[in-house]
Amino acid sequence: MIEIEVERLDGIPVARPRGDIDAANASTVREQLAACLDVDTDKLVVDLGETRYVDSAGIDMLFRLGERLRQRRATLLLVIPGDSQLQRLATIVALPSALPVCETVAQALGGCVRESGA
Amino acid sequence: MDVDADLGQGQREAVEDGSAAGAGLGPPASGAEQAERRLEHMREVAAPSLGYLSLEQMLSEMLERIRDELRADTAVLLLLDEDRGVLVARAARGLEEEVRQGVQVPLARGFAGRVAAKAQPVIIDDLNHADVVNPLLRQKGIRSLLGVPVRVEGRVIGVLHVGTLHQRRFVQEDIALLEIASDRAALAIDNARSVEQRAVTEIMQRTLLPEALPQIPGLRFSAKYLPAGTTVRIGGDWYDVFQLPSGRLSLVIGDVVGRGVLAASVMAEIRTALRAYLMEGHELSQAMSLLNELLVAMGRNRSATAAIIELDLESGELASVSAGHLPALVIEADGSSRFLEVPPGVPLGISLHARYERRRDQLPVGATLRLYSDGLVERRGEAIDEGLARLGSAAQAAAAAEDASFADRVYRRLVDETSVEDDIALLAVESLPLGPSLQLTLDAQPGVLAGLRSTLGRWLASEGVAENELFDITLATSEAAANAVEHAYRAEQATFLVSCEHEAHSVRVAVRDRGRWRDARSYGRGRGLSIMRALMDTVEIERGEDGTTVVLTKRLATGAA
Repeated sequence: MIEIEVERLDGIPVARPRGDIDAANASTVREQLAACLDVDTDKLVVDLGETRYVDSAGIDMLFRLGERLRQRRATLLLVIPGDSQLQRLATIVALPSALPVCETVAQALGGCVRESGA
Repeated sequence: MDVDADLGQGQREAVEDGSAAGAGLGPPASGAEQAERRLEHMREVAAPSLGYLSLEQMLSEMLERIRDELRADTAVLLLLDEDRGVLVARAARGLEEEVRQGVQVPLARGFAGRVAAKAQPVIIDDLNHADVVNPLLRQKGIRSLLGVPVRVEGRVIGVLHVGTLHQRRFVQEDIALLEIASDRAALAIDNARSVEQRAVTEIMQRTLLPEALPQIPGLRFSAKYLPAGTTVRIGGDWYDVFQLPSGRLSLVIGDVVGRGVLAASVMAEIRTALRAYLMEGHELSQAMSLLNELLVAMGRNRSATAAIIELDLESGELASVSAGHLPALVIEADGSSRFLEVPPGVPLGISLHARYERRRDQLPVGATLRLYSDGLVERRGEAIDEGLARLGSAAQAAAAAEDASFADRVYRRLVDETSVEDDIALLAVESLPLGPSLQLTLDAQPGVLAGLRSTLGRWLASEGVAENELFDITLATSEAAANAVEHAYRAEQATFLVSCEHEAHSVRVAVRDRGRWRDARSYGRGRGLSIMRALMDTVEIERGEDGTTVVLTKRLATGAA
């Protein structure tokens, strides 16, 4: 029900959901995102630049996905534009405490050093 | 051979047979009274009491009565298939194999073919001396035949014939009786056909057009559909409107080249395909490309024009893409109008390499968007610009009136129904100001959340609520609604209510369900509650006997009142 655009930049899969992530689609989105990660990569970038709302089910999904990737010795990197409403939400739910959150895709590809573990 | 090139010895055209007509009215025993009674019986072969039967059953019943009345052994009705120029056996008595074997007689050949081609009664006194196309007649041992044309409004639509196993000289009275029966049959067939056609058309129309226009607070939809022609009321034009999983609204208008049932069937296929592409989440220009590829692949030399407009209910932002379709019209709140600018695009089904470009625009509150097909503006011998100009002024005039739906008003100004040369489809969306309160009743299922957020966002924006407050209130309400969905008791068709009020620098939202609020134990639900608390000023959960109400309030920091 939600389109997720996937491209590879520097060999790293970058997934861009087009639309909101909520209770209606969170589990589908998680499966689709998890499927983007293949054996030869240890990073998955999820760009939320085209996403307006992520509800608690969506946030929950991102935490779980991060955990799942960690178990596979891979890292989930989130891209949330700095001046966005979503950025405020990320802070409210302490998303950066569990996952690296970057402001741009370029930062994420570079390892997201600055924001990581804030 | 079965080929019947000429009238055989035993075959005569009834009109030339003065002797038969003059040979006295029927068998010696029959007086004028009896003849009258037979005529009366024959007039009743298609009595209204047969009206409840299907056409097949009715024809079969009629043939039985005809056979009795004419004391014949067989009675057969063949109907003309005009496209293929053949007569097809539709009902038979005493010669049921004709129907079972699907006997077809080419026009102007064989006995029945000759009756139809000449549009006159034909008699075969002795089949042994005549050539017939249909071997069944001979196999069955039929000796004599009488056939008359079945006519509707002077046009031959079939042939009715009776036969006897013994040799018989059919006389004028027999012809008269069979002709009466044939008239009755013609009437019944014609009625049944038009009833059948109406039913098919109605079913197709119901399937092809949206059952109902969406009910979305703050938007008013109207639509008009008028196919060209008077007999088959369906055509290749279509419109569609539906809410996407993202909460955005999809508006589609299109026009398959051609008319009637054939164009309608292509339309039905591509309308459904486009809906599927869009519902799957394909971006507009991509959905249009996929539709183009589909139509090319269908390979039926069919082309179509179409326009898709996606409306973000919250922001009023429009995205549109066109495949050779006329530009949509926007009538602003002040009455001025303009056409939506979008690259024209190649019509669908022409080139596999066609590319479609999306253009963005805005539909402010108070404005109206109109999508239409070319039948609305095109007149024979007139440049399209003149038609577009006429549409613009009609739409402005209609915007000022209030007596009927917008689509109806524009339509009445532009179209003289008696002169419709092409299909017309018209879809209008008016963006209405929302009042200081908003009431929604929603199905208790997660799919409604996106639509709730966009409607609520739209209402908050129209109330002048600032961007970040809009985000907070909308997301918090969505959380409360997700709880209502999750906790709605398992009754089917459960609904929940969302009511919102804006007063004195604050917004109050109540989400009321009929389920039990469960303790916020699990990870996700706990987060939902903390998100609501972080985003809103107050969050109250009222647990009642018959359900739970979550009341959220937020004071507005900025100037909105």
